[in-house]
Amino acid sequence: MTKDDLKQALQPIARGLFGKQGTNRYQRPVFTSYPLETMLADLTAIPPLAWYPYVFSREPLNGKFNDGQRREWMEKAWKCGEEYAEKMSAEFGTENPVLLANAMKMKVEYPTLPEKTDRVLFAEFRDPDNIRIYMDAVKKADRLLSDDRVREILTDKLNVSKLLLAHELFHYVEEKYKDEIYTQQEKIRLWSLGPVHNDSTIYALGEIAAMGFAAKLNDLPYAPWVMDVFLVYGYSENEACGLYDEIMTLVGKGGD
Amino acid sequence: MVEFIIGIILLLTFFGLAYYCIKGHNLMIGFLVITIIWTVLPLLGTLFASSDFLAANEVLQYNGVLGNDGLVKKILNNIYQTAPEGWGTTLVNVCWGAWFGRVMMDTGIASTLIRKTVELGGDKPIVTITLLNIVTALIFTAMTGAGPVIAIGVIVLPILMSLGVPKAIALFSFMGSVAAGIYLNPVNFAQYRAFFIQPDQMPDFTLSWYAAHWGYAALIIMLVVTTILTGIFLKKSKTSRAWAAQTRGASTPQKDAPLYTLILPIVPVVLNIALGFSVIGGFVLAGFAGLFLCGRMKGTFKENCQLVNKLYYDGVVDTAPLVGFLLTLPMFNTVATYASPYFTVVLGEVIPTSELVICIVFAVLIFMGLFRGPLTLVGCGAATLGVLSNVASFSVPFLYAIFAIPTITVNIGSCITQSWVAWGLAYTKVESSDFLKLSIPNAYVTGILQYVAVFLMLTGLGAAWYI
Ligand SMILES: [Zn+2]
Repeated sequence: MTKDDLKQALQPIARGLFGKQGTNRYQRPVFTSYPLETMLADLTAIPPLAWYPYVFSREPLNGKFNDGQRREWMEKAWKCGEEYAEKMSAEFGTENPVLLANAMKMKVEYPTLPEKTDRVLFAEFRDPDNIRIYMDAVKKADRLLSDDRVREILTDKLNVSKLLLAHELFHYVEEKYKDEIYTQQEKIRLWSLGPVHNDSTIYALGEIAAMGFAAKLNDLPYAPWVMDVFLVYGYSENEACGLYDEIMTLVGKGGD
Repeated sequence: MVEFIIGIILLLTFFGLAYYCIKGHNLMIGFLVITIIWTVLPLLGTLFASSDFLAANEVLQYNGVLGNDGLVKKILNNIYQTAPEGWGTTLVNVCWGAWFGRVMMDTGIASTLIRKTVELGGDKPIVTITLLNIVTALIFTAMTGAGPVIAIGVIVLPILMSLGVPKAIALFSFMGSVAAGIYLNPVNFAQYRAFFIQPDQMPDFTLSWYAAHWGYAALIIMLVVTTILTGIFLKKSKTSRAWAAQTRGASTPQKDAPLYTLILPIVPVVLNIALGFSVIGGFVLAGFAGLFLCGRMKGTFKENCQLVNKLYYDGVVDTAPLVGFLLTLPMFNTVATYASPYFTVVLGEVIPTSELVICIVFAVLIFMGLFRGPLTLVGCGAATLGVLSNVASFSVPFLYAIFAIPTITVNIGSCITQSWVAWGLAYTKVESSDFLKLSIPNAYVTGILQYVAVFLMLTGLGAAWYI
């Protein structure tokens, strides 16, 4: 028996004894897969206001609302975003998000990835004036956009980095005009005990308006929520397909 | 002299086990191997040790190999049969607790409770976090196991993140609250109690007695410290609004459970503590109440049976990885009594016998509860307990509490080797080091306060609490 034979014979025993602790590793489920073009074609066909079931599904207070409220708020918030896009571009004399951000004296950074390795994070706004666009997501999207068919569906209006920047710019605008802007003024009473009560703003409204703001500035012919699937696709096709399925189910077109 | 050398060798194997556990190797096999070594060495020792030593230690005296006083019946059967059998009672509690956890999830009671809680907090993250932490702790006084933690985590964590709470802080806050609840969990209590005494020993050491004398304090300390630290960490990090996306699957959203059923998760524990009602009885009662009140028992008799059966199956699967380890441990706990005379020879002079000194030493060494180290009972702390309880004499409630802190606060609440913390890291994609940066300060602040509580509440107990 050679040394290697012996090693081979002992290996299973060593593995049994010294194998790592078998803790339950979390595995993401596997979803039905769809071609990217099909998903993008379906998603770009959804009118902006029809996205409300998906948007509100991410709202922590969603259980307190009825469908009428959701529709009404969706429309008002989207419009609010568009109005502020016009107002800002008039005030600063440009529709270009990059120039706007300059004019507003924002500190815009373009790091590759978030520090905390959160991979599927596209961009963020940090109080008071810091915006980060994560270029890893943008570059992956640009690579997908080099496909003619994908480019055709998403149109030449789409510049991912500018779209993300415009969205985050709105969060700054929202903060600046918080005493008058619709998204911060619409409130819901959560509870009241005699004179004590808790009124809360609605998180989703800021997100809706930010999308309206970004779509208007970029003159995008479809709702920017399409990017949720498109940008995730660069990281994980499976995850993107799951998200697409979820959106189509929520929006009520069935995910056939 | 021989007994001293064997004592040293045993001590070395103890450090070997500690290293093995810290490296993350399989705990069940590790403890099985160490049990065999600790059986062989002390028994071989009896052939060579001094007669004074043998005369002084009754546990090491046997008469031949067979017969009632012989080696096989007196010692080996005790280690390899009686000991694991004695843990049967504990295991039954674990299984029913797991079933109850599954029922609370399947009926939507747990998720409704979380959503309603969030709806009270609104856009003030710290209010929402405080409320969520309280509710999470309450839920986990009755539910345990990776399954329920994951089921609640997938609801709580995305909510916190969408409120702008950074992921590492959200994860830390949630895991700390789960561990706080575990302090009053009857299943965990039964499980850890069995490390110290047989289930039928010391009938007065019940969950109700323990809760009143230290358990409530331990839970509240951990909950309050975790929440305050979360607030401090949140203050330091700037609020951010992020554009991100993650699917939750296309499954239809669950219907809300009726409001009055939201009380059910704490019913088993309340019944047990207030009325001395049996834990399993409470699980059955509250579990079926939940199933009926939430309309889960509207099918045919056969369908209902299948549902109850499936929930039991899923629940037991949740706890399966723990069971092998739990049934090997009692062998080790028992073998430690045979090894302890040798430890006494080596360590008898070194190990402190004052309760105050023990509290201080344990508080300083809290980090040794991390990575399945020598202080956590669900790691190689079981060996430390074996040595400590046989070398010096402490009351059972005191010993319970000083080991519960590294086990629950440190291992379960703060360590990445805990199965559901490992799940949470993968789910939220938080780096281990980012989590530990938050959880280790919490382990120390919480742990030290809890040791102070131990010293104030559980020292100087009467003779009835010693074995
Ligand atoms: Zn946003």
